[in-house]
Amino acid sequence: MNTQKQTRSTRHPWLLAAVVGVALCTALGCQPPPKPGSAPAAGAPSANLGASASIKDLMAARGLNESDVESALKTYMPTGKKDDYLIFASGGQSGQVLVLGVPSMRLLKVIGVFTPEPWQGYGYGGESNKIIEAGKQDGRSITWADVHHPNLSETNGDYDGKFLFVNDKSNGRVAVVDLEDFNTKQIVVNTLVGSDHGGAFVDPNTNYVIETSQYPVPFGRVYAPLSEYKDKYRGLAMFWKFDRKIGRIDVRKSWAIELPPYTQDLADCGKLGSDGWAFVNSFNTEMATGGTLQGKPPIESGASQNDMDYLHIINWKKAEELVNAGKAEDVLGVKVLRMNVAAAEGVLTLVGEPKSPHGADVTPDGTRVIVGGKLDTHTTVYNIAKMRALIDAKKYDGKDAYGIPILNFKDSIDGQCEIGLGPLHTVFDDKGFAYTSVFLESVVAKWSLKDLKVVEKIPVHYNIGHIMAAEGDTVSPDGKWVVAMNKMSIDRFNGVGPLYPQNFQLIDTTGEKMRVIQDAPIGIGEPHYSQMIKADKLHTIKIYPPGTNIYTNSKDPNAVESGKERIEKRADGTHVFMTAIRSHFTPDQFEVEEGEHVFIHITSLEQSEDQTHGFTINMHNIDLSLEPGKHENVDFIATKAGVYPMYCTEFCSALHLEMAGYMLVRPKGAPATIPVSSTAPGGPSTDQPPAAGH
Amino acid sequence: MTPLSTSGRSSVSKEAAHARGQRWLVVALAAAAVGLWLLAYLRPWWQFYLFAPQYPNGLVLDISLTGLGGDAKEINMLNHYIGMKGLDEAASLERHLAVYGVGLVALLSAALSLVVGRKWNWLLIVPGLLFPLGFVGDSVWWLYHFGHTLDRHAPLNIPMFTPQFLGWGKIGQFETYAMPLQGFWLAIAAVCAMAVAMALRYRLCRTCPLHDSCGATCPTKLVLGTIPYRVK
Repeated sequence: MNTQKQTRSTRHPWLLAAVVGVALCTALGCQPPPKPGSAPAAGAPSANLGASASIKDLMAARGLNESDVESALKTYMPTGKKDDYLIFASGGQSGQVLVLGVPSMRLLKVIGVFTPEPWQGYGYGGESNKIIEAGKQDGRSITWADVHHPNLSETNGDYDGKFLFVNDKSNGRVAVVDLEDFNTKQIVVNTLVGSDHGGAFVDPNTNYVIETSQYPVPFGRVYAPLSEYKDKYRGLAMFWKFDRKIGRIDVRKSWAIELPPYTQDLADCGKLGSDGWAFVNSFNTEMATGGTLQGKPPIESGASQNDMDYLHIINWKKAEELVNAGKAEDVLGVKVLRMNVAAAEGVLTLVGEPKSPHGADVTPDGTRVIVGGKLDTHTTVYNIAKMRALIDAKKYDGKDAYGIPILNFKDSIDGQCEIGLGPLHTVFDDKGFAYTSVFLESVVAKWSLKDLKVVEKIPVHYNIGHIMAAEGDTVSPDGKWVVAMNKMSIDRFNGVGPLYPQNFQLIDTTGEKMRVIQDAPIGIGEPHYSQMIKADKLHTIKIYPPGTNIYTNSKDPNAVESGKERIEKRADGTHVFMTAIRSHFTPDQFEVEEGEHVFIHITSLEQSEDQTHGFTINMHNIDLSLEPGKHENVDFIATKAGVYPMYCTEFCSALHLEMAGYMLVRPKGAPATIPVSSTAPGGPSTDQPPAAGH
Repeated sequence: MTPLSTSGRSSVSKEAAHARGQRWLVVALAAAAVGLWLLAYLRPWWQFYLFAPQYPNGLVLDISLTGLGGDAKEINMLNHYIGMKGLDEAASLERHLAVYGVGLVALLSAALSLVVGRKWNWLLIVPGLLFPLGFVGDSVWWLYHFGHTLDRHAPLNIPMFTPQFLGWGKIGQFETYAMPLQGFWLAIAAVCAMAVAMALRYRLCRTCPLHDSCGATCPTKLVLGTIPYRVK
């Protein structure tokens, strides 16, 4: 009986093996438990149609029409839903960069760039001070900027989501923002120019960040009277070499091309077939310098006398070769390719453009450059292949006063599109349409690149400056969205005093007709350009590896580990090696002598998403942001004896208010009351009490 | 050569082949058990989930035989508020001995294919069976211990407690969920494999003409088919 039973049960041992296998599979494919309370929300049937009655009531109560509701549906983001695109917008005079989501137009971040930004602890005592200090011009700290044109790094003409570059028009500077952590990592200064506007623009593989000067000055801003304007004043196209590996501009490998003292304006790089070329427009080829008090016409009218100004055509690949061949001259430490060399080698050529133009935008296929007329009602469509053929054949109409060859206007263009009053900038979609901002008419004009005819105009509010489209200046624009960046908002928002917010308007271009579907007031500065990138191209980090110095992208040599906190008295002053973690600083008290140099090395031990601490010592203008893993070094002189609380400035936890301590600055010669961990030999003689007893 | 004798002979060799196959299976299952034990040593055994509003993805604590994984650091960070000792201080002796324990159990599994079905051989399986049970018991004890030695000077004073070791529980604003993980199931699978191998072995020896008199040389002979086989 028993035997038989056993035989039966073991006849098919594979069955048991299968059971074992199933157990294994279950084990390996282990499922996490359902989140508490998460089940019913997701996938619940949508509100039944009875809701439409209440929607009608809501519409009536708020005075909304169906089109408004449609716009709301296209832009509304329920909590937790994320935007499809991110805008990186110039923060204008704020010196910062704004990050907004599309389609919600919610402001996600203000990135501190040229201006100290307290929330990020940017420029308030920590490592970031070095970045801002590097932005000094002529030894003077400049803590604001006129940020104009953010440009995203590109690979093969497409945004790669790695870096962002912006220029400071006022002070001739360019900054590098790392999009891994949305922090400014570098500011470089152009020591030759007086201002820049044609920047920051990158070539299709971000070899260079191009920065073109605006108001001409003698190189190095050295003195020369205005009467010597034509002889001594110059424009400049700077090519900042970007080292992608380290994520910084390599100043030593950067170079420039000397330009005539026309007021160079916007620039763009060729792409695809026209990679290796750059295009810079200009105004004031009259070289007017004003003199209103002496009865001369102001620059605005002096600069508008000629019918034509010049589009500069730059063969930068060739220029690079010449620079590498040693043809550049050292001008105050910058390698500059002189105008005469550039002109002779075909590196620099001019072509007429209707007077006082604006915008120079290369089409996605890289075949044409669109220049807005501004004072002329057209956009002019330059054909790059035609211009290159003319340059190759050395077929010139003549030369300007500086010997730079000029191409025939008619032979260089495909045609012009009659846009309207004040066409400025042009962006592109994926269907062969161009969108031009029309400043005086306050409209966006959509026109066909095929037949150069306007197909539609849509009013925007008001005085549109730049315009931007989803990935609109890459080789593959996405279409969908256009943003009008309006200089005035007049009646669009609540009154906030005589300084009105600027107005970004999101335009839906997917339908047959364009529609403005969302306004975003910008209350921090006057943005100029912006760019819009698909959100999934960005790969940001959430925390830093422990002890990271975010400006060297490596572990700081002074990084502090848990248990290694200490106070060291050294020859150069007192070094406090501190850690921060919920909800305490270690050490949370230290004492120095009046007049002593204090060094605080502080590491956040947190490794948890969004768990940021702040650090301040009152009355010392010290304010740090300590994101998880971040390390900061701050040093200062404790000039005044007294008691100074220090505390965490982020509401980090329920015991945030308890995350505090004291810095004591004892009067000179007074006995110490808080022990130090060690005193370096040769350090200041100390009357510290013994460190024992704890 | 009559059709009858042919069929009779082939029937016998078929039985012999079947028995040989089963002996191979014993060896394979024992080898699998060894492998499963080694895998179990490497994989986490138990998992805790902690859910709170500010942790939308939850916190995870993986317990393996050698230490803690997942968000152990963050959980320790939170535990300091209620004065709980760092979880990594727990069971250090056990963690150091685990490698020997698993090694021993794996060796016993391997022994299954060598030692024939004597009466008390089933005892080989007992340590393997006790191991997962011991893990559970030990872990619960440590949880109890940590939950009952809270530092009374901690910022938050809560009553002593024992975290829930299986299924849903609650600590402060956290809802917790605990469950066995791969390592534990792998160990169970190893025990199952051992049990099946054992049952097969007992049955084979019972029908073997040599019964259990061939000692440790049996497997080789069995596998090579040099032991005569006869249906009882």
